[in-house]
Amino acid sequence: MSRADDPRYAGIDPDVSPLRPYLLTSGRTQPVDQTLEVEAQVLTSQRGAAAHNSLTFERRDIVELCQVTMSVAEVAAILGLHIGVARVLVADLAELGYVIVRRPGTRLTQDIDMIERVIRGLEAIS
Amino acid sequence: MDLRPLAEPIAGSRRPPTPVKIVIAGGFGVGKTTTVSAISEILPLTTEALITSVGAQVDPIGAVPAKTTTTVALDFGCITIDDDVKLYLFGTPGQDRFGFMWHDLIHGALGALVIVDTRRLDDSFPAVDYFEKAGVPFVIGINVFDGNLAHDVADVRWALAIGDEVPLITFDARFKLSVRDALLAVLRNTIDKNRTRAATRQ
Repeated sequence: MSRADDPRYAGIDPDVSPLRPYLLTSGRTQPVDQTLEVEAQVLTSQRGAAAHNSLTFERRDIVELCQVTMSVAEVAAILGLHIGVARVLVADLAELGYVIVRRPGTRLTQDIDMIERVIRGLEAIS
Repeated sequence: MDLRPLAEPIAGSRRPPTPVKIVIAGGFGVGKTTTVSAISEILPLTTEALITSVGAQVDPIGAVPAKTTTTVALDFGCITIDDDVKLYLFGTPGQDRFGFMWHDLIHGALGALVIVDTRRLDDSFPAVDYFEKAGVPFVIGINVFDGNLAHDVADVRWALAIGDEVPLITFDARFKLSVRDALLAVLRNTIDKNRTRAATRQ
């Protein structure tokens, strides 16, 4: 019997994981680095690749997925994780050196060179 | 997924690009997702943000602040700017009660585009109010759904109670180049605001 038909799950959205997010993050709800931006880029390191088999569940999925660089938001969307959970897990993996994280620069709104660079990039779109 | 590449060193991988972002805000149904879709290189993705917020209203019976947990969808897409810069667009729910999420999202944003539907101006108040207070440079973009403006642009400015320092543009969220121009307006506004600030400081 699928969850959709199971009376015990009546009224519960079958698309929502019955696991509470904190179970995925070992009870923590704050990432090691709380300010990890949703657009921060994540790439699996050699160490992370080597540790792949020792990792479990979502941590393993992330190390597998991020063989191609992507943002924390993409990790969350592709793995179906809440963004907050993805942040915690990525921050943990980065702490262990299993992923390389490239974060946006600071004071970007005042970084005229960067903004002009983005303007040139957008102007090239046709 | 084929795991064999993991046996190889990832040394050959390129350094991750520097991410930058622009926030796309606005009330429900104003065209945030359409805007992101029109220009994103990837199909816009949706992720969920689990939110616990303490309600502004106090429970009249228990005198305990009502605490609610809500899941909101966050749509986003991206554009490769050059070899080392990638621009992300995040469409955020515009309702007042999600304001705390904006704080999280706008951190580091190059600017914001607040999309307005002139038929439902009320829906844009929270976003306008928020970005004004947060000091994030923003541009108001009137989404011209059907090529017609329900109100004159000057009337919209008046109705939203925004000063001349906030640029107000019209665009069509369905078209890539129109969205590109709206994003360019956001970036140029951020540069202008920097210059203004630098000038007043001297």
